[in-house]
Amino acid sequence: MQEYYYSTLKETLYHQEYSNGLNVFVLPKNDFYKTYGLFATKFGSIDTNFKPLHQKEMIKVEDGIAHFLEHKMFDMKDGDVSDIFAKLGATTNAYTSSTRTAYLFSTSQNELECIETLLDFVQELFLTKESVEKEKGIISQEIKMYNDDPDWRNYFDSIKNLYHNHPIKKDIAGTIETVNNTTKEMLELCYETFYHPSNMVLFVVGNINPEEVFSIIKDNQDKKTFIAKEEIIRKKIEEPTTISKQEEILKMDVAIPKVTMGMKINDIILDPYLKLKREMTMNIVLDILFSKSGDLYQEYSNENLIDDSFGASFTQERDYAFFQIGGDSEHPDELKSRITKFIKELKEHLISKEDFDRVKKKTMGSYINMFNSPETIANLFIRYYFEDNSAFELIDILEDITIEDVNQLLLLFDEKFVTTSIVIPSV
Amino acid sequence: MEKIIELNGAILHIVPTKKFKNITISIKLKSKLKKETSTIRTLLSFMFSGGTNKLPSQQAISKYLENLYGMRLGASVSSKGKAHIIHINSIGINDEYLPEKEGLLVKQLELLHDVLFDLSANSNQFNETIFNSKKRELKQRLISAKNDKYSYAVDSTLKLMGKDQCLGISSIGYEEDLDSITNQALYDYYQKCIKEDEVEIYVVGDIKEEEYILFEKYLSFTPKKKSTDVVARYKNTREDILKIEEIQDITQAKLNIGYEINTAFIDFDHYAFTVFNGMFGGFAHSKLFKVVREEHSLCYYISSNYDAFNSIMLVTAGIDASQSDKVIRLVEDELDKFKHADISKDDFEVTKIMLLNGLKKSNDEAGNIIALKYNRDIVAKQETIEEYMEKLNHVTLADIQRVANKVKLDTIYLLKGSE
Repeated sequence: MQEYYYSTLKETLYHQEYSNGLNVFVLPKNDFYKTYGLFATKFGSIDTNFKPLHQKEMIKVEDGIAHFLEHKMFDMKDGDVSDIFAKLGATTNAYTSSTRTAYLFSTSQNELECIETLLDFVQELFLTKESVEKEKGIISQEIKMYNDDPDWRNYFDSIKNLYHNHPIKKDIAGTIETVNNTTKEMLELCYETFYHPSNMVLFVVGNINPEEVFSIIKDNQDKKTFIAKEEIIRKKIEEPTTISKQEEILKMDVAIPKVTMGMKINDIILDPYLKLKREMTMNIVLDILFSKSGDLYQEYSNENLIDDSFGASFTQERDYAFFQIGGDSEHPDELKSRITKFIKELKEHLISKEDFDRVKKKTMGSYINMFNSPETIANLFIRYYFEDNSAFELIDILEDITIEDVNQLLLLFDEKFVTTSIVIPSV
Repeated sequence: MEKIIELNGAILHIVPTKKFKNITISIKLKSKLKKETSTIRTLLSFMFSGGTNKLPSQQAISKYLENLYGMRLGASVSSKGKAHIIHINSIGINDEYLPEKEGLLVKQLELLHDVLFDLSANSNQFNETIFNSKKRELKQRLISAKNDKYSYAVDSTLKLMGKDQCLGISSIGYEEDLDSITNQALYDYYQKCIKEDEVEIYVVGDIKEEEYILFEKYLSFTPKKKSTDVVARYKNTREDILKIEEIQDITQAKLNIGYEINTAFIDFDHYAFTVFNGMFGGFAHSKLFKVVREEHSLCYYISSNYDAFNSIMLVTAGIDASQSDKVIRLVEDELDKFKHADISKDDFEVTKIMLLNGLKKSNDEAGNIIALKYNRDIVAKQETIEEYMEKLNHVTLADIQRVANKVKLDTIYLLKGSE
């Protein structure tokens, strides 16, 4: 068992790696009632081209399969695992992102039983042809629900239009067609490949004793056998640097038009520390340039170009990165041309020391706040873990960021790589 | 343990705890919920984050907050039965976690003082720029409220079902009332609100006893009488079941079913109803989820919600419009089973455990601690979380059947696509 103390956060984290390759992290928070466990695999919606475990050939599986599998994990031989958690007094849930699938429980009693149940249900797959067929109806309803959400459509279209081939352009749940094409065998193949303990991590935070947790997990894992681990080989994605589509206009039942602009970033950093530093620096840049404290927000707001839904974000995972900006606007075309012009001129822009110091303080506050919530800590931890980083080091990395780093990042902005997605009222 | 201190014209509730790395302060301004004033009150709530005389713009306030390690300041409105409430919330980092002692608590209180008593204004008018921009912001909020189909459908259901009753009044107001609100009128209303609204202040965080006096210094109001008449009892005044269909450009239909329940927060049956609602549709193990979603694959979401301050229950489901009759029938069948005591003992026990655990866990979030306390304070109900849990635990199967028999189908609302 390894122990790490983080003095700025006053938190102690415990770590144990097991012989089957499973990594477990425990963060005791003894004045909390709640314990939250998150068990995740590095398998997301973009993992559709890969070499199945102990096979020779690359295969392509249906889009949305990681999400489909997530739905089916809850089935057990003797019923639905939610019922078992409910009897323990716990709730359970799961989510699929582009790069990972995570299963969770939240409880205020029977913590150790909940941890074992979480491991047990995810470490066993129980499928029947009928249950796979039945799930298709439920997932189709879910897809329809997302299709009706103009914010989601607008957000997602702006990503879709940045890429030619990268599977990030596919909806996480796939389409009704790909869901209907998904088979039991395909799901099993994905499960065997990506749900190996060495591709997974468990994070538990709350009212728990690390030694007890590690010891029950050892007993639990010793009872199970897994085939030998093997490195997972994903097909390298050949993605041109250009964007796929400059503009997309969608008509939907909205009252105020929506604009989201995306910018593809082709300069992908491999070193984990530098990659995380880039993300944090970029978030500082975006806060300085586009948040309510900035001049641009003030100007656009006075001219009635934006409302308080306006915002910017940076996404960076695995082998893709992009920046997005937008919100509701009565004047989508004017907003688009103004932002395009702004991006074009950013290379000449210099950020002031005053703005930088202020936003750095704000960023530190927001990191400290995140460590109040067990859910936030766990999800943050898992996300960075799969990128070989630690969420507990965010505040230390923040200290390393300088005004030069911030100004350097402005050079990444290039209007050539910008796409615009607009939703306008259908009537 | 909670510490209650009577301030000038306000009651201060302090929950000292070292559990959080920040200090949460929530100020509640309560008035009567009226159709005529909900718009102006919402607009006023927007002004509370718009600028003070010291920080006379959105930008100035935002910069100031960022410098204070991203202190948060926000305002929102809600309704509870007959009450309309403006919430002013602020979260600041506890000094102990900062590289240097910054005295953030004093700055947080100074800012809240200015937000309440010194909004950016000149000769009985608000700063015109801020006024106009907040008015526009609210207008867009009201217009875009219909974009989220789930909340649009819920709002429409409550509006139609609760016509001429508290239930039917929108807490965020009406677009058609907004235009006629002048700067002068809003400023006058601001003065009235600060003077007449009932004020409760909640603080959660590592507050030391010697700091209590700071609250007295910064947050002092005009004394007023307290009214605890908050619970609204929804009564059906129609002969038949109200059935409404609305068509919009959507693919997934939203079905909402409203029930008259004749049970409310201050009633003896509140505890039984809470457990009943949990068993019926409050959780993933509940009947509605199990039957309609898992057995029949007819929806992605379905749940029932108990509004204890309006005395209604609302079932919401996202479905395929062509299946609506089938879903309604299934929901009604499940309800009938409860009425006829066809109730699983297992579900009953599990629901109780889930409710009790949810309550325990609510102690881990400052916002939830405050919400639970406020629900009781607003009707002067003396009850600790432990006592509440005890009462839920004493609910029997017979109680469940009794409250289920008070449930009466009232409104069926369907929002669907045009094919």
